[in-house]
Amino acid sequence: MDYLEFAQDVVSRAVERGVEAEAYVNVGQNTSVNVDRGEVERLSQAGSKGLGVRVVRDGRMGYAYTSDFGTESVEKTIEAAVTLAEVADGDEHRTLPAPQPVPEDDLDVYDPAIVDLPIRRKVEMARRIEKAALRYDERVVLTNRCTLLSQYGTVAVANSKGIAGSYDKSFIGGFVMAMAADENDRSVAFGFDFGSRLADFKPTAIGKDAARKAVGMLGGRPVPTQRASVVYSPMAATSVLGALSRALGADAMQRNRSFLEGKIGQTVAADMVTVLDNGRLPGGIATRPFDDEGVPTAATRLIDEGVLQTALHDHYTATRDGTASSTGNANRRSHAAMPALDASNFYFQPGQEAPEEVIGGVEQGLYVESVMNTSSINPVSGDYSISAKGFWIENGELSHPVNEVTIALPLQELLRNVKAVGNDLTFVPMMGALGSPTIRVDGVMIGGLTAEAQ
Amino acid sequence: MLPNESIRRVLEAGLAKGADLAEVYLENKESLSLTLDEGRLEKATQGNDVGGGVRVFYGNNAAYAYTDDLTEASLIEAAGVAAAAGQNANNAQVCADLTKGESPVVSRIERPFEEMSTQEKAGILRQMDDVTRQRSPLIVSVQCGYTETRRRVWVYNSDGVWAEDDRSFLEFQGQVAAQKGDVRQSSGAGVGGQVGLEFFDDRDPVKMMPEAADTALLMLDARPAPAGEMPVVITNGWGGVLFHEACGHCMEADFITKGASAYTGLVGEKVGPDFLTAYDDGTIPGRRGTMRFDDEGAATNRTVLIENGILKEYMWDLTEARRAGRESTGNGRRQSFRHMPMPRMTNTYIDAGPHDPEEIIGSVKRGLYAKRLGGGQVEIGRGDYVFTVTEGWLIEDGKLTAPVRGATLVGNGPETLRLIDMIGTDMSLDPGRGMCGKGQWARVSVGQPTVRVPKLTVGGTE
Repeated sequence: MDYLEFAQDVVSRAVERGVEAEAYVNVGQNTSVNVDRGEVERLSQAGSKGLGVRVVRDGRMGYAYTSDFGTESVEKTIEAAVTLAEVADGDEHRTLPAPQPVPEDDLDVYDPAIVDLPIRRKVEMARRIEKAALRYDERVVLTNRCTLLSQYGTVAVANSKGIAGSYDKSFIGGFVMAMAADENDRSVAFGFDFGSRLADFKPTAIGKDAARKAVGMLGGRPVPTQRASVVYSPMAATSVLGALSRALGADAMQRNRSFLEGKIGQTVAADMVTVLDNGRLPGGIATRPFDDEGVPTAATRLIDEGVLQTALHDHYTATRDGTASSTGNANRRSHAAMPALDASNFYFQPGQEAPEEVIGGVEQGLYVESVMNTSSINPVSGDYSISAKGFWIENGELSHPVNEVTIALPLQELLRNVKAVGNDLTFVPMMGALGSPTIRVDGVMIGGLTAEAQ
Repeated sequence: MLPNESIRRVLEAGLAKGADLAEVYLENKESLSLTLDEGRLEKATQGNDVGGGVRVFYGNNAAYAYTDDLTEASLIEAAGVAAAAGQNANNAQVCADLTKGESPVVSRIERPFEEMSTQEKAGILRQMDDVTRQRSPLIVSVQCGYTETRRRVWVYNSDGVWAEDDRSFLEFQGQVAAQKGDVRQSSGAGVGGQVGLEFFDDRDPVKMMPEAADTALLMLDARPAPAGEMPVVITNGWGGVLFHEACGHCMEADFITKGASAYTGLVGEKVGPDFLTAYDDGTIPGRRGTMRFDDEGAATNRTVLIENGILKEYMWDLTEARRAGRESTGNGRRQSFRHMPMPRMTNTYIDAGPHDPEEIIGSVKRGLYAKRLGGGQVEIGRGDYVFTVTEGWLIEDGKLTAPVRGATLVGNGPETLRLIDMIGTDMSLDPGRGMCGKGQWARVSVGQPTVRVPKLTVGGTE
């Protein structure tokens, strides 16, 4: 089946009902392998497909979806979308985008080697992840959720303004939880790797990384409550980026739900902070030629040396803004979801210092390796308080492991208090893909033991 | 869905290479959701998700394949993929006769969603928006949503299990933002359950909105939360999210059987105060975690997790129960036919205790009252947890004196449970908005009475 032709066919059938229409088709193959002590504990494989139909009439929008591509089901889906559009309220800015030329650069998001990878190789890779974790140190007592994921498929988008495009994509990823234990303590850490090219995928490194972190955290303890410098690992720094990407969405700004509303053109961060969103980053996990409503993706400089330049836009927010254009950031979690504004490859631009130098610059402070509950960070208020694990920094060197503490500082202050940016940009597959180097932030409130408890 | 003869042929295709159990799961999910933002009904979405999967067990190992094409031929093909690892084709088991399971749990709703027009449902969202904006000119953003979902499931296995369930969920939620000068605060509320339009007989989603607005307004003038260790009193109802996160996840059997949970091997041991009893109950009528049968065809139960402080039982699915050579507790759940089941909580709560809730607050000299809570997270292996207080109050000399914002609570689940020294008489379940993520999403309920923890780390900025 040619999915682009199918999408175009759905559009032309919908248009007969006097609406503007868009069809989004996502078809893929997924495999997941889970091993435990070398045995394949769970194996899941299947193909899946989905169609989402969006219609607009007089600024009223309706959306319906199905996983059944039969003529009758498609008719029913179109009908449902048209009916729902009648219920919706009109909004003059609610239109579908017109075609724009899509640059033909090689984005490196499809690797036939992933498609051709036989199941036994996937099982073998999952086993390598586990083995690397268990062999790292005798204190690694078990692994959990040791998983290899692979996906490939096609996305097609067509609309009645003339947009018609499709692309293939592939993905391979793995993760594992390692648990370490000694006579006094136990600790758990997570390792992962992912990407769109098989050749770059390193299963052994996943296991080692999880094991190293788990062993390192044994004997962790809280530190006294105090204000101090915090050095974030790239993984931990994504806690800042996730909320920042939502606050930088034009929808949040237009609807007064962003702590950065009204701040375009102003200094909002330290001058060493530059924040980018690049949907065309070669090989990036959130890279694609066009977004989920068919608009070409782009590289956007959101914060440039501390100054807020622009917001992330989709077609609706750009139309509503009047002077902006879409930055190609319309995204869908699946065919069942209407496009919504989301970051793509969203990251802090790396600096010059090696991570050891960033840590070395801190006399007393906390190195944060991992964080929890980042979804609680509030992009409306800027309130930021999460739990952290890592190491105490003593005279520029990591000393004892630290756990059960919180780190808190409003994002407004946190961005201004960035004092060092490392050169080790690393991406994490969250909300698209968030990337950061090691960064240092001063004046962070660390919640831990009270003075009396010492 | 499909005739039983077809199901038997699919199950036998699953058994063909010597598997010891084959299972078929079929699902039909229909949903409608409406979003009102800035006073406009902006998003209206409707859809249908239909599919099925075949799971095949070889000892403790399981393989799964699924399809969104619900024909006998497609399911037999899936069964072949799932069975592929088997090597013992000469010794294939025969499928037992399928016997339709009975459950005392009633999941029938009284009034189906179709009895109210989409326009009327949108009208309720408009009322929610109106009352919120009327609350104060400082309210700068209101977003309201309605979702209805009907999920029908059919489970069969080669031991003769045949279970059907029909679950309908209705949910309203609202998000509010308030602004004063350069300070912005937000708040949310939600209400719902496993219920049809009879929901409106005794509940009104419009009524929750002024309170949500008041929280956002209150937080505009709230001072930053303190940081450090102090006594914490946690509200009843949704406050049960603490037990869900900090302890419940550590009692799910998948982490237990691996030895990866802080509660492994502790059945029969004292894990909390004498006056603490906690349940996971998948049979409570109308709750989000309620099922006639779980997603593996096992009847749901009221499982005593902790009785008078003693750990009694974990929560089991079929995979972990087979591994341990015992019965499932009816906690095998899956997000959809695209997912393999795992042990999950249903409706989990701490039962009423001996203390007067007012006396609990009155007992604290200086501490924090967590009146409204957001979400939380736990690291199951060690039991370290964190969760967010969306409306907190300082307690000074037994009285709530000042609202505080930006508070987070961190601790270790098993340790916190042991520390609890007061449990109120005011047990209640949450208003019906709980969604739990453990790699897969599942609707859950939580609950508890007012609870006091004498020493907990609060992560504020002061």
